[in-house]
Amino acid sequence: MELLVTMIVNLLASDGALLGAGIAALTGLGAGIGMGIATGKAVEATARQPEAVGKIRTMLLLGLAFAETTAIYGLLVSILLIFVAV
Amino acid sequence: MQNLGSQQMAVDFSHLAEKIFPNIEPGEHVIEWGWFVVNDSVFSGFIVVAVLLLVALILRLTVIRHWKTTPTPIQMFLEWLVCFFDKSADEMTEKYSGLMGPYTFGAAAYICCGVLIELFGLRPAIADLGACIALALCTFFFIHALGFAKNKARRLLHYLNPINIVTDLAVPVSMTFRLFGSILSGMVIMDMIYLLVEGVLFTVVPIVLPAILTPLFTLFHALIQSYVFASLTLTFVQEAIESPPKKIKQKKRRAKSLLAAENATAAEA
Repeated sequence: MELLVTMIVNLLASDGALLGAGIAALTGLGAGIGMGIATGKAVEATARQPEAVGKIRTMLLLGLAFAETTAIYGLLVSILLIFVAV
Repeated sequence: MQNLGSQQMAVDFSHLAEKIFPNIEPGEHVIEWGWFVVNDSVFSGFIVVAVLLLVALILRLTVIRHWKTTPTPIQMFLEWLVCFFDKSADEMTEKYSGLMGPYTFGAAAYICCGVLIELFGLRPAIADLGACIALALCTFFFIHALGFAKNKARRLLHYLNPINIVTDLAVPVSMTFRLFGSILSGMVIMDMIYLLVEGVLFTVVPIVLPAILTPLFTLFHALIQSYVFASLTLTFVQEAIESPPKKIKQKKRRAKSLLAAENATAAEA
């Protein structure tokens, strides 16, 4: 038991930052799902009303920018963990 | 016989950290002229500003001086570019479009060119936290100055709700990190690809891979991030300058005064 605890502590002390970087990159999951839903809805809206494509595109890009932000945060955190924390 | 597998994996990533965060190793990525000490990206920012000013001056002296009714291609491009920002500013911020149109155009031009300078081998000007914070604070200033200019003291009601204050303070932070993160990640990926290309000795990969990936991570990022920055600025300003809901009495008086003003202008005309 004690050996296991020391192993875990050693792991967290040495490779914890890299592990964290891997976990932080999982933000891409949520952002990907959100952006996919947004794009699918935009396609549906364009198919239903092709003349509103300009407005739909503007709104879609804004929404994608907001959704992309979370993924970028995750990426930034993992880059910082890899190159600065170690 | 040589072990090909080990040769493929022998890519040295140790210089990457130094390239990405140059402050780790002081002295290498800092430019010094006497008392004038700047970062790598600040230096490329100066280059970008100088180039933009020079191009603007040249266009002012050549194309705009000889403005024609049958437009040349450059004139059409300039008109499209200016109209694109002016129109979207007109739609979002009716009264202040004269201020917001040029500001968004300038910010977008700086961001776009500051990223595209990466194609010349310099560090992008936006891959520095200071540049992103400066741009985001300009937007923050515009949001609140125009909000107060439009709604006067009624704007203070907006701050009674503490959640609104938190939301307002989050705006510059999120704009800063959106810009910084996306540009930095594009730069990191391109640097990694270049290191990979140096390490891998196959003939096809070095030519094809950067040629495909450079437009993806540099050009698209430049255009999309500048567009997103401009449209987000306009959206936040529009949110700030829309008048809060009022009582019916005040609305009537407002409508009356508006009517009177319209009548006066009509009479003048």
